[in-house]
Amino acid sequence: MADAGAVIAAVRHSEHARHHSLTGFALAFIVLGLLFAAVAAWRGDVFFFRLATEALIFGGLALSVDVLLGYTGMLSLGQALFFGLGAYVSALVLKNVLPSFWLAMAVTLAVATLAGFVAAVISTRARGVYFALITFGLAQVVAKVVFNTPSLGASDGIIGIPVITIDLVAFDVDTANAAAFFLFCLAFVMALYFLCAYLARTPAGRVLAAIRSNEDRVPFLGYPVGLVKVLAFVLAADVAALSGALYPMLRGFVSPELLYFEVSGNAVITVIIGGMGTLIGPLYGSVLIVGLKSVIGSYTTHHLIVIGTLFVFAVIFFPQGLVGYFKPPLERRLAARRAAVRA
Amino acid sequence: MSAAQPRNARGTPTANEAAATSASAHLASDVPLLAVGDLSVRFGALQAVDRVSFAIARGHITSVIGPNGAGKSTLFNLISGAIRPDRGRVLFRGVDVTGRSPNRLLDAGLARSFQITNLFFELPVFENLRLAAQRLEPAWRALLPTQRSAHALRRAEALIARFDLAHKATDAAGSLSHGEQRRLEIAVALATQPGLLLLDEPTQGMSHGDTAQTAALIKSLAGELTILLIEHDVDLVMDLSDHVIVMHQGTKLAEGHPAAVRANPDVQAAYFGEAAVA
Repeated sequence: MADAGAVIAAVRHSEHARHHSLTGFALAFIVLGLLFAAVAAWRGDVFFFRLATEALIFGGLALSVDVLLGYTGMLSLGQALFFGLGAYVSALVLKNVLPSFWLAMAVTLAVATLAGFVAAVISTRARGVYFALITFGLAQVVAKVVFNTPSLGASDGIIGIPVITIDLVAFDVDTANAAAFFLFCLAFVMALYFLCAYLARTPAGRVLAAIRSNEDRVPFLGYPVGLVKVLAFVLAADVAALSGALYPMLRGFVSPELLYFEVSGNAVITVIIGGMGTLIGPLYGSVLIVGLKSVIGSYTTHHLIVIGTLFVFAVIFFPQGLVGYFKPPLERRLAARRAAVRA
Repeated sequence: MSAAQPRNARGTPTANEAAATSASAHLASDVPLLAVGDLSVRFGALQAVDRVSFAIARGHITSVIGPNGAGKSTLFNLISGAIRPDRGRVLFRGVDVTGRSPNRLLDAGLARSFQITNLFFELPVFENLRLAAQRLEPAWRALLPTQRSAHALRRAEALIARFDLAHKATDAAGSLSHGEQRRLEIAVALATQPGLLLLDEPTQGMSHGDTAQTAALIKSLAGELTILLIEHDVDLVMDLSDHVIVMHQGTKLAEGHPAAVRANPDVQAAYFGEAAVA
């Protein structure tokens, strides 16, 4: 063949255009976060820092939903199970064991991996609606158990979680410092994003896309579909739990509401509004949803009516979501620029 | 080249010898690549496959023919692990693989294509092939960037050229024409580098031109691997095959050299009826 490698080069070119446009959205998200931090710090603000940190934390949850929904095609209606699990485990460690960020994260990761594995074995045998209902059911069961367990604070949750200092070797971050903790959470959630984005581009991640596209053919390519789905589910559980583990550090308390369906449902809405299958879209979506809830919530207690209506319009007019809508023009520009550089 | 000529590069019996001997003697020299014994499965009241036994030799193209409902596709599903048999055994390279899952069968070297095109329609054509070729890489490379799996990339590129789909490499598989999708269907199964390839009606719904091109492709594969083929087009089967198995109402009616099978009166009655009279 005269042009060996030409097809590989063409494929790589087309993949780069897609990846670079999404990386562009990710870098823009960081820049916007830093700009916000600069303005908020200049204004001496605390409220908006806390709100933006909450958006990042729920963005991490939405990211985990997108790993399942956007990449593997599995609609989880119970992702709050792992988010709440992370929040509770982190709260218990910080309050009762040691006020150490890294210990809380390590324990959260271990517990979430184990719980994620058990839930995956139960739920990933089913597909579509049945999978969605099983995840929903599991989260409801755990929420009710927590709600009725006095040692976990029952309906009151756990309060009085201490302010901690996160040891980052070169410097420390105090969770009481709204600006510093916001910047830390920005770095933390973006690290989760870049990890997921990296995995999505590896051959292992591509198998998830293959499962989403045509699950029945995948075994005939030699991949153990059942195992791959379990691993994807555990990854999503870990991402959700690590995000949830930040919550008690932000708010100083956890409550059973973190495990409720409203949190799971909101995460799905966030993914769809932000752009399913983009991974970065859910983070934009979370800023939008958390921001809107707060703004509208300051005028009316019926903010869910507005969010619901917005969701309906978004699905009808922007089914690709925010990032999905702006991605193709950016991709074309990047492709054109690369072509110009080559010529 | 016609199938009546011997294909004897590996010292396997020539087609003429095969025609002259019985099916079992034909396989006596070596452990057959694939052997099925007494294979049976029932769907409710229907005995879809009924005590079917045969063996196929390395390097041959063996075809399964039979009228609609004869149990050909069910036989494929039994061999490829898509469904489990009620009784009987499947031996691959002499090892009992009955009831193994499709991915474990592929690890052993048995791949298949589908009668109804079964691709990753949303993914690019190249990506369909790369996914299939990835199993040639060690498992740990699955967590490195895709570009590091150079062997899989080269395999995908070689196949995309061989199956004349290079100009569509970055297009979604779903956007291809029917004939192109059928070619990709074969190429994806082939990309896994199997020792035995099961092709379920590879030319299904193809135009005459596409059928001839695909037949030439299948023929060109014969030196590289063993092929078991389901096909409706009798002329194509007679031209391509070293060995033909005739299915009828779930049972094996006959097997042997294409010419011998065509001459068999039972087969003529069951299958070639109209063609033989005309």
